Formats: sequence, C-alpha cells, structure tokens
Amino acid sequence: MPTLFGPYTSFSKQYLQTHAIPDAHPTDIFALAVTPSQVLSASGSSNIRIYSTKGQIIHADTPEDEHPYPLVQTLEKVHPLGCHHICTSLDGRTAASAGFGGELNIWTCSEEGSWTLKGTITPEPKKAGEHWALALSENGQYLACTTHDGRINVYDTSTISSEGKAEKITQYETKGSLGMSVDLSSNGSMTASGHQNGSIYIFNNTTSRMAHSLSGLIKPVRSVRFSPACRYLAAAGDARIIALYDTQSGEQIANLTGHASWIMSVDWNWSGEYLLSGGYDGKAKIWSVERRECVATQTESEKCLWTVKWLPKAASARNETFVTAGAGKGLAFYREASGT
Amino acid sequence: MPYDTKTNIAGEIPNSVQEKIGLIFQGLNRDLLEQRDGLALTLRTRTRQASSSSHENGNARDVKFRRLCFPGRGVEDAWRFTVVLRMLELVHEALSTGKTLSKRDIYYRDPALFGSQTHVDRYIDDIAFTFDVPRSALNVTAVAKGLILGAVTFCRRDGSNANAAVDREGVLVPPLSELLSVSMKAVKWVLVIEKEASFRSLASSNFWDRLSTEGVLLTGKGYPDIATRALLRFLSEPSPQNGFASPPVYGLVDFDPDGLAILATYKHGSFALAHENSSLQVPQLKWLGLRSEHILMESDDPHASQGLMMLTPRDRGKARKMLERSVPGSISGALEADSEEWRGALQVMLMLNVKAELQLLDAQSGGVSELLESYLAMQSRYTASLTRNLHVDSP
Repeated sequence: MPTLFGPYTSFSKQYLQTHAIPDAHPTDIFALAVTPSQVLSASGSSNIRIYSTKGQIIHADTPEDEHPYPLVQTLEKVHPLGCHHICTSLDGRTAASAGFGGELNIWTCSEEGSWTLKGTITPEPKKAGEHWALALSENGQYLACTTHDGRINVYDTSTISSEGKAEKITQYETKGSLGMSVDLSSNGSMTASGHQNGSIYIFNNTTSRMAHSLSGLIKPVRSVRFSPACRYLAAAGDARIIALYDTQSGEQIANLTGHASWIMSVDWNWSGEYLLSGGYDGKAKIWSVERRECVATQTESEKCLWTVKWLPKAASARNETFVTAGAGKGLAFYREASGT
Repeated sequence: MPYDTKTNIAGEIPNSVQEKIGLIFQGLNRDLLEQRDGLALTLRTRTRQASSSSHENGNARDVKFRRLCFPGRGVEDAWRFTVVLRMLELVHEALSTGKTLSKRDIYYRDPALFGSQTHVDRYIDDIAFTFDVPRSALNVTAVAKGLILGAVTFCRRDGSNANAAVDREGVLVPPLSELLSVSMKAVKWVLVIEKEASFRSLASSNFWDRLSTEGVLLTGKGYPDIATRALLRFLSEPSPQNGFASPPVYGLVDFDPDGLAILATYKHGSFALAHENSSLQVPQLKWLGLRSEHILMESDDPHASQGLMMLTPRDRGKARKMLERSVPGSISGALEADSEEWRGALQVMLMLNVKAELQLLDAQSGGVSELLESYLAMQSRYTASLTRNLHVDSP
C-alpha cells in the first residue's frame, strides 16, 4: 500500500501474448463474441469462424500447446455483404449476428459445441439495413438491436418464424441518432444504448421506460457494457475516455483517461475488477476499476482494434486471458503473467 | 459598431484586407475582454433585385448595412455570425499563407457549418463588398469541367500545339477527337484528383514548384465526364500516339461513398457496365487517399476534427448499395482484388460512421503534398531497390 508520504507506486500488471491466429479472416474483424468454451469471430467476409478455448493450458509457465485455440467450425457464406456485429448469450447457447445487408441471424449451439442457424430476421425491404448493434439476454431469449434512427428493438428469439419475422416485444425510442452500441444487464433488468451524438441511455426492462439519460461524452459512444453485478455501466468512444456510471442513481462516478485515440470496444472481466479497452490506434488497455487507473497497455500494431474481449474465467484458470481483433485481420490472445 | 475599421490601436490606417480582418478580430477580442453584452459584425451588402424584404431596404437604394450579432436573437443570428467569422478566418489564413482558395474550398472546409454552397457564395461576395475589393483580393476564386496541368504537350489535328504547363490554373481537357498525339516524355506519374479545389491548392503549392516538370494533375470535378476519362486513358495506356508511355496513375478522392464511387468510375466505369466501358477504363489507377488511416483520431486540433463528419442516412444507403453491387462472385476475375479493397473501405466507413473531405489534409501540416511526396519517394525507393537487386554483384 502506498502511504501519503511514501514514494508513489503504480500497480502495474503484465500481460503476455500467448497465441496469435494470423489472417483468421481475409478482411477486418469487426466483432468477437465469447462463450465459456469458444470464441466467435465476424468480419467483412461472409463467414463466421469459431475457435475452441477449451482444453488450453492454463499456467503460463508450462509448455504451450501448439494449437491452444483450434478452429472448430466455419459458418460459410452466412452474411453475403459481411458481418458487422456478433454477440452471444451468457449461457453460451445462443448467438446473434448482424450483416451489412441488414439481416439478423440467430444461432443455437448444440451440447457438442456446434452451431446451427435457428432463423433469420430479414429487414422490411424499405428499411433495409437498419439494424446495427446487438445484445442478447442471459438465456438468449431476448435480442436487443439498435437502429440507424436511434430506436432499440427487443425481439423474442423463441418466436422466430421461417418467413424471417420475430415478435418485437419492446421498442425504445430515443432522439434519432444512430445506436452504435447496446448491452443488456446480466440480471435482465436493464438495457443500455450508446449513440452517435454522444447520448447514453439506460432503460428499465420491467416498466419499458427510460430510467436514465446519461450525460458526459458528447462524441460518438462506440461501446456500452454493464458490469457483471449490474452496478456500473462503462461507456466509451470518440471522447477517448471510459465513463463509469452508477446504474441506480445514473450518476457518473469516474472517468478513465489515457487512450490517445478513439475507443472502439470495452469489456469487464468476470469479477468486475478490471476493464479492458481497445483503441483505433491499436492499443489495448487494462484498467483497475478500484484504482481508477490503467494498469497495463498492449500494443501489437497501429491497426485499429475493432473488438476486445475477456475470455470467461474457467474454473481452474489462475490467470485471466483476453483476445483482441481488428484491422490486423488476426486474433491475438493475451494472458496475465504469473507472479504479478 | 463595436470596432473601428478605419484605424487600429496605433492610429494607422490599415491598407490590406489582411490587416482589416486582423482589426476586426482585435475588436471582437476587446469586446470579450471588456465583457460587453454580445458581439457584432457589420456587413455591407448589395441590395438584391426582387428582394423578399423590399419594404425594409426601400430607403437604402444601393447599399445596406447588415448587423450580425452574437448570440443575437436566435439560432439563425448566431449561425450567421459564426459563418461570417469562420469565412473571415479562412480568408485571413489564405492571405497570410499566400494560398488561393476556391468558393468550393471554403465550403468543404466546414460543410457542417455552412450547410450549402450558396451561403458561402453569398457571404464571400458580401465580405469582398464590405472591404470594397474584388473577390480575387481575398485570394478566393470561383469554380469553372475537366482540368489538366503538367508536363504534357498536346498536338492537335489542326497542327497547333498546346502545352498544359503554361497556366497554373490548368487547361480545360481537350476533346480526344481533336488530338493527334501527345508528348509526355518527362511524365513520371499522373495524379487524378476528385475536386477542383484540391487540384488548385496543389497546383499553387511548393510541392508543384518542385515536381511540375515530372507530373500531371487531372481533375474531373466530381464524377468525371467522358472526355476526362478518355484523356486519362489516352495518357496512361501505351500507344503510338502517346509515345508508348505508361506512367503510374494515382487517385485522390474524399473518404465517403461518393469518393469511392468516383474512383471506381475512373478505374472501371461502373461495375455493372464494366464490359462496355473497356475503352475508358484505367484499371491500374491506385487509390492514394483519402484512406481511413489518414484521419487523425489522436488529434486535438479542432481544424482536423471539423473536417470529419458523420455519415448521413443517404451516405449509409449508398454505401450499402455499393456493397450489394460488388458481392464477391458477381464480378469478373480481374476486378475481384480491387473490389475487395473497395468493399473493405466501405465497411470501415460504415463501422466508423465517419466521412472526410480531401480538404481535411489541407488543415494538417504538409497536407496533400506530403502524402503524395512520401508515396512517390516510397515508390522510387522500391524501384531503386529492384534495380539494385538486379546488379547485386557489382561493387
């Protein structure tokens, strides 16, 4: 513990790149989603690729497996114009992906870990491509989806029909600015959205009303994430700061500064102690939420990191792992070095 | 009037427009320091015939004065004040750096503020009228299709010659039917520029002073006409008429769906009609900029961030249609690699939800010339290394 009079010690952590999958896709990787045993990657190409994270060696000091993250499935030609968002439910059984053509695909995972298409929600011809960012509820029943004109549509994925329709159970209206990011709290009680014009909203899913309109970022909000215990909301984007809000009071409780460029993606670790963020300049940062400071920075290249994700903590894992992807077209896995 | 255009603080009479603008800003600065209520500028405007508010200017026959206040009575007032102030700033910048701006240039430096070209045209004339100088004295020119400038000499069918290097403003693209041949021995590269404004700013830069003997600049002013495309093909495709020259061709367009569509027009015509356009295509055209990596996200410079705009619903719709038209497999083999780069750019644009005009580079130090020069240097190093490798054994 640093004292008031003692020398200031900065608590830093060390992460090592443990594995890389170069050229996982032929184009930019725009989104990653994780389940307890897999990583799903979506890109400008028409395929979704799935890598297994099971059976990897957990301790950094033991020898590496040659293929710790093997490719286990490729969903071929599922988004003809490319795929911009993908998300999974917490239980890892459902996934949703959104394509540049405006189509939404809903996927289910078998016990063996193989994905099949459950159904497609096709846009009405006149409003082609209006869906943008996605989030699934804990068990995958509800899919929240932002639109170009600022709405958040919530679909019941259990009602999906072969004609490409699903029942819309709620529609949240905002001021008409593109919804760039969306999240559902793990307890299912709240929806949050971040918009092009800097607005951030929290909605109460029970009453279907807006609970908070959060101020503070002004510039496009590219990522919003609820903490695992649903107490905080992290929001980040072109303002180059990560803003933390108390989800009950709506008050802004912290600003994490240090990114020199746009922040494209943020993610909480399983315990809510750390935040991971990825920037347009290719830098990934790990933040201690308690200390309100950056504890590690990773620079692989100067290429944009469209997406960064912690892998869910496996029961036996001692050191946490995260994965980054973006304009570099590959996946990079990092693990906290032992003994820090 | 909160400021006095007649004398400055030292009592001297300002003689240049630059000084006059300086005085206006001094005046505003003083008002701010003395915490007066509101700021104001006065413009001398020409009365317009068939003016909608003719009863107001009935007694001022030729000239009326218009007071622009900030914050003023409403959003309109504040906007008007801001527009004029921003234009004065740009004119001042043009005068102090000795660069010439076109009206279109001014508009593109801050399209979000100006809203439309007509506003810029009107206020620039009013500003010139206020200072009682011709518009050219503000270093602002009007915009005239297809211009070419550089080290080429056209030989016409009637026997006359025309050198495209004589006038820095460039010469109008000659119709191909009039040309017998073109001499381009000195030409090392051809640069195609989307907009006339950028063409002009490049033509008046130091960069062009150094490289005018080895390069050609060409603009089709937006979507190019057939004559411009035909000429570009004529210059870049080896034939007896152009001395079997095949200089590399680079393209500089806006980072928006239209910019990419314009680039594709030069390269392939339209994707849909690619097979019919083979006589106008320039498939070797390389996309120099503006690319997403040229957009400085780190920058706190307000000028740089002002150049960035969000995509409109029309832009997003256009980008999506362009993606649909270039689905892999729908295009023949040779275009496949091109369309991949092109699709990637469109997707990134949609993801960022950002577009940027070429003029963004003008606001950055070095601008277009630095980008081009570093690219040309890289190319020549590459060529040199190839040549060296061929002579690996020589001492």
